[in-house]
Amino acid sequence: MFQNRAEALALALPAAVFAAIVFLAPVVILLAEGFRSADSWSLSAYTTFFSDPLNRTVFLRTFRLGLMVTVVSAVIGYAAAFAIVNLTPRNKGQMIGLVVLPLMISSVARTYAWIVILGRTGIVNQALQLVGLSDEPIRFLFTETAVFIGLLQLFLPLMILSLISALENMPKDAIPAARVLGANWFQVFFKVILPLTKEGLVIGGTLVFTGSLTAYITPAILGGSKVLMLETLLYQRVTVANDFVAASVIAFILIVMSFAANLLLKRLATARNKR
Amino acid sequence: MTPRIFTPLVLFLVIGFLIGPFFIIVAASLSGGETLAFPPQGFSLKWVAKVFTVESFQESFAISMLLAIGGTAAALVLGVPASYALSRYKLPFGETIRTIVSLPIIVPGIIVGLALLRYIVVPFGLNITLTLFLAHTALVLPYAVRVVSASLNNLRSDIEEAAVLLGSSRAGAFFRVVMPNIRSGILAAFILGFVTSFNQVPVSLFLSGPGVRTLPIDMLSYMEITYDPSVAALSALLAFMSIGIVFLAERFLGFSRYV
Amino acid sequence: MKKFLLASSALLLVTAPAVSAQEKTLTISVYGFAQDAFKELVYTPFEQKCGCKLVVETGNSVERLAKMEANKASPVVDMAVVSMADALSATRADLIEKIDTSKLQNFNKLYDLAKDPNGDGMSVGYTFYATSIVYRSDKMEVNSWADLLSDENASHVAFPNVTTNQGPPALYMVGEAIGKNTPDLKEAIAAVGAKKDDIVTFYVKSSQLVQLMQQEEIWAAPIGRFSWEGFTKLGLPIKWATPKEGQTGGMNVMVLTKGSKNQDLALQFMDFWLSTEIQTALAEKLVDSPANKDVKVSPEIAENLTYGEETVKNLKLIPSAVALDNREAWLSEWNAQVGQ
Repeated sequence: MFQNRAEALALALPAAVFAAIVFLAPVVILLAEGFRSADSWSLSAYTTFFSDPLNRTVFLRTFRLGLMVTVVSAVIGYAAAFAIVNLTPRNKGQMIGLVVLPLMISSVARTYAWIVILGRTGIVNQALQLVGLSDEPIRFLFTETAVFIGLLQLFLPLMILSLISALENMPKDAIPAARVLGANWFQVFFKVILPLTKEGLVIGGTLVFTGSLTAYITPAILGGSKVLMLETLLYQRVTVANDFVAASVIAFILIVMSFAANLLLKRLATARNKR
Repeated sequence: MTPRIFTPLVLFLVIGFLIGPFFIIVAASLSGGETLAFPPQGFSLKWVAKVFTVESFQESFAISMLLAIGGTAAALVLGVPASYALSRYKLPFGETIRTIVSLPIIVPGIIVGLALLRYIVVPFGLNITLTLFLAHTALVLPYAVRVVSASLNNLRSDIEEAAVLLGSSRAGAFFRVVMPNIRSGILAAFILGFVTSFNQVPVSLFLSGPGVRTLPIDMLSYMEITYDPSVAALSALLAFMSIGIVFLAERFLGFSRYV
Repeated sequence: MKKFLLASSALLLVTAPAVSAQEKTLTISVYGFAQDAFKELVYTPFEQKCGCKLVVETGNSVERLAKMEANKASPVVDMAVVSMADALSATRADLIEKIDTSKLQNFNKLYDLAKDPNGDGMSVGYTFYATSIVYRSDKMEVNSWADLLSDENASHVAFPNVTTNQGPPALYMVGEAIGKNTPDLKEAIAAVGAKKDDIVTFYVKSSQLVQLMQQEEIWAAPIGRFSWEGFTKLGLPIKWATPKEGQTGGMNVMVLTKGSKNQDLALQFMDFWLSTEIQTALAEKLVDSPANKDVKVSPEIAENLTYGEETVKNLKLIPSAVALDNREAWLSEWNAQVGQ
């Protein structure tokens, strides 16, 4: 450990000052704008925002979709991560590679694919009709279902990767020990696996939830103006009406939701720990 | 269900869900038809060829490349010394500094883009390209600090302390002893930063001007005009580029340790 | 490594400003459709003529206006095309400059309606369009605007968002059809709202409709005549409706940004675009219907356009002032009835 403080600051400050000026200051000013009204501090922008039923709907929808994507990705994530950690090291490496791969592809391309897949004449509808599950094409595009599927595909890898590293750090004999003691798989999961991997779940959950809240492309392309989410609403308010106050309100809500999700999940993790 | 059936079934479904759309994009881009469709109508390379003739794609590709390379390089120039200070020095306000440089990863990109447009571009008349460069640098900075810090923490600090005791200058010790050892970490940070910046959408959404936009934004606005398979072809080409870079990085660096 | 990094970032800083400070440039902001045709017929010939560079930004009318307002202090765009109502809105917001029509040689060739659409000398019309319904004639029949909202049809319809140019005219005609037409469009919006779950999407950019039609995602949509051409190429049985309530429509106009440093060049460009030669070329490609009355086209072409003084006079245009004064109310009504 070097002790020279001046030298330390000289090394670290350029980065900090840069981030503060280019990033922190403009964002703080933007957020402050939502609390100003007629030259004084006020919450009126927030009451106005929430008094509009459309805004409330969009807020609730964003929250709901974020939550659903997080929960479903946790369920699938556990199954997938569990399957992957039990592979031979060589296969495991390949599988992890396949999970990481989509993260390296532009979200524009990944979302774009769903237009083809989910269209009325797309393969999902063709398959459903082929097996006789539906007589006529089901409409997916411009629905919450399409946005949900798009978001899930976008963020599932983050959950799987977080859970893989959590499962790997779990004591190897924990599950066999519980099984020997007569626990069924249900008990093993809730009494052993979940408590021991909750940190991975918290990290993955936060990444997926905030990712879903702040995705723009997916709701824009797969949802359109019928399935507005906070992010697309913000864009619309700015481009259609120059409404920077509403934009600031939405920005603040998004940030608060992300931080709250983070805190809540952490709290849940520690609460279980004490028991 | 026994693991013997469970494992392959789950993996098949999950990996299919994650990777499947990518194959559809590739197939659709090789279509001979006029619109995006799967299964593709006939085979042709005409849409792949068209990608290279669309002028705006060429311009926005150049801008995105410039931002991804330049922005990541700048983030490393700022981030490497900061990481060094954070891991090797008793740094006053160390935690505050660490939080400030990692904020851009937490705050939604669309807000950053809007804030920059409103309080930097408009009042100061700053050039859009330059603003994009600053934004992408800030965006990559957290990754740079995180990855480089990780590789510094894996390196024993007594080597450079020894070098200093033996009469080397602090800077000399850094360049001769530390740098060679964290080179692969820096390269990993560079690749991660490059991919992040290149694929970035929300930050750049508001930061576009006449004739200046990043490639993903350009693809979005192209899609508003037509869904013809050329965007699929471009997506596929870009994906292969990213995969190629990551594959090489993994091959030579064991890149996934750092992600 | 470090040297390379420094060098490449320095390179970026040097080249970035240089790119924008090239030769003489004119920046225009236009609608995003048919840009290939515009490039070939308008932009490139103009660049050759003026020896300058055209920078083109695309987007819809409202977005363009919002951007002009955001950049009011230092305008980015020199010349823009917007809807009639948005031109009036820009005038009120003090974003545009009076057009010196004496510098437009082709001004006197324009239809009277296009010479000064809002009566304030701030804009010049360059194209008219009828708004009606494009539909799959094998799947449905459209005789009235109300047919869009029928139980069988609504779930195959894309309706224009109220913020687009086509939104208010389409709502206006729906109001006519249900016999409850008032300037606040209240009943029409309620009628659309009642079907909001059925209607496929409330589109913002008409350019994606061709793909949606091709994918059979939709069977019908109200569109401006300028979007028609793309549908004719699909090889599907697609018709342009002539509803009994009539067709509505609009006019797109050119405006000059206040504080632009290239006003003369912008005027030259406007004049070029309004010339008989260019207007004829755009008409023949079915891109834009002419506002220049000297343009003569064949009957087959005319059939696919909004062509001729009589046709133009019969369009039920919403006056700009009415549109502007009601816009806020429309939007909040829309958000309440349709948006959620």
